[in-house]
Amino acid sequence: MKITIKQTDGAEAQVVVTYGELTPEVEKVIDFLKGHSTTLTGKCDDETVRFNARDILYIETVDDRTFAYTESKIIKLSHSLAALTELLDDISFIRCSKSMILNIDKIERLKSLPSNRIDATMKGGEHILISRTYASELRNRLKKGGVGRE
Amino acid sequence: MNKKKTSLWERYLTKEIGIEFKACLYFFAILFIYCVYKLTQGSFTADILHMAEMILLCYIICYVQVYLLGNFDESESFGAKEAGGIFICTAVYTGFSLLFDWFERSVAWTAGFAAYIILVYICIFLIYKVKRRIDDKVLNEELEMFQSRPGKEEDTEAEP
Repeated sequence: MKITIKQTDGAEAQVVVTYGELTPEVEKVIDFLKGHSTTLTGKCDDETVRFNARDILYIETVDDRTFAYTESKIIKLSHSLAALTELLDDISFIRCSKSMILNIDKIERLKSLPSNRIDATMKGGEHILISRTYASELRNRLKKGGVGRE
Repeated sequence: MNKKKTSLWERYLTKEIGIEFKACLYFFAILFIYCVYKLTQGSFTADILHMAEMILLCYIICYVQVYLLGNFDESESFGAKEAGGIFICTAVYTGFSLLFDWFERSVAWTAGFAAYIILVYICIFLIYKVKRRIDDKVLNEELEMFQSRPGKEEDTEAEP
């Protein structure tokens, strides 16, 4: 793969990917540039499905089984929540309780609750309660406006 | 994701600081009416023992409020539970004001004190409500900024 790096004074930083065929290598570069395009595999209605992590609203562990909730599907994952926490070590995913990971990009609205808790209304209309422990982490993440993390 | 977990000690400390802050808030409210009473009686001195009783009582009642009465003064809405909490705590404060002789057992002042405590609770409930409303606004502004951050998927243009 040919790599061209060009520095122009005063120009806005921009990355252009030119390819003839979308090879896995090119796909990987695009995925990296897009920021959060981890692909996951799980089971939905006894069928194996591949989906992009960015489509996830939230991930929940129920009775030691992990489920990813998108706007239209509930997908059973084989990963543990701890493994997903590592895998989705991404700026838009955040732990919101002991058994749940939330995609900040899929939050429609936030509501401040008593005792420093936060109620997140997801794009699908579901309400997720973010406990006090994790609410402060969410506040920090939002304050930084998605620029870098601790 | 942040791997730093809040320890049990830190969680306890956060709650404890919250209770102490609340206790100070109520103590100053009670101290104010006590000072007004003293001034109306022509006295410019406040009894240290009374003040110690007030702060200790506020601290205990705030503990009860947080752990037994569901922190009713910070509730989302005002209902029977909140009204019950206000009634119980006001009754306790009023009872102890008589027991500790804060208003020299004056019926008028004790009744006024009870009404004042109810007013304080309603004001604090409203203050927390306004605070949360402002917090909502800030949170949603920050969420909007976060979601429109540069480098996000939506910023990517794909040419055929």
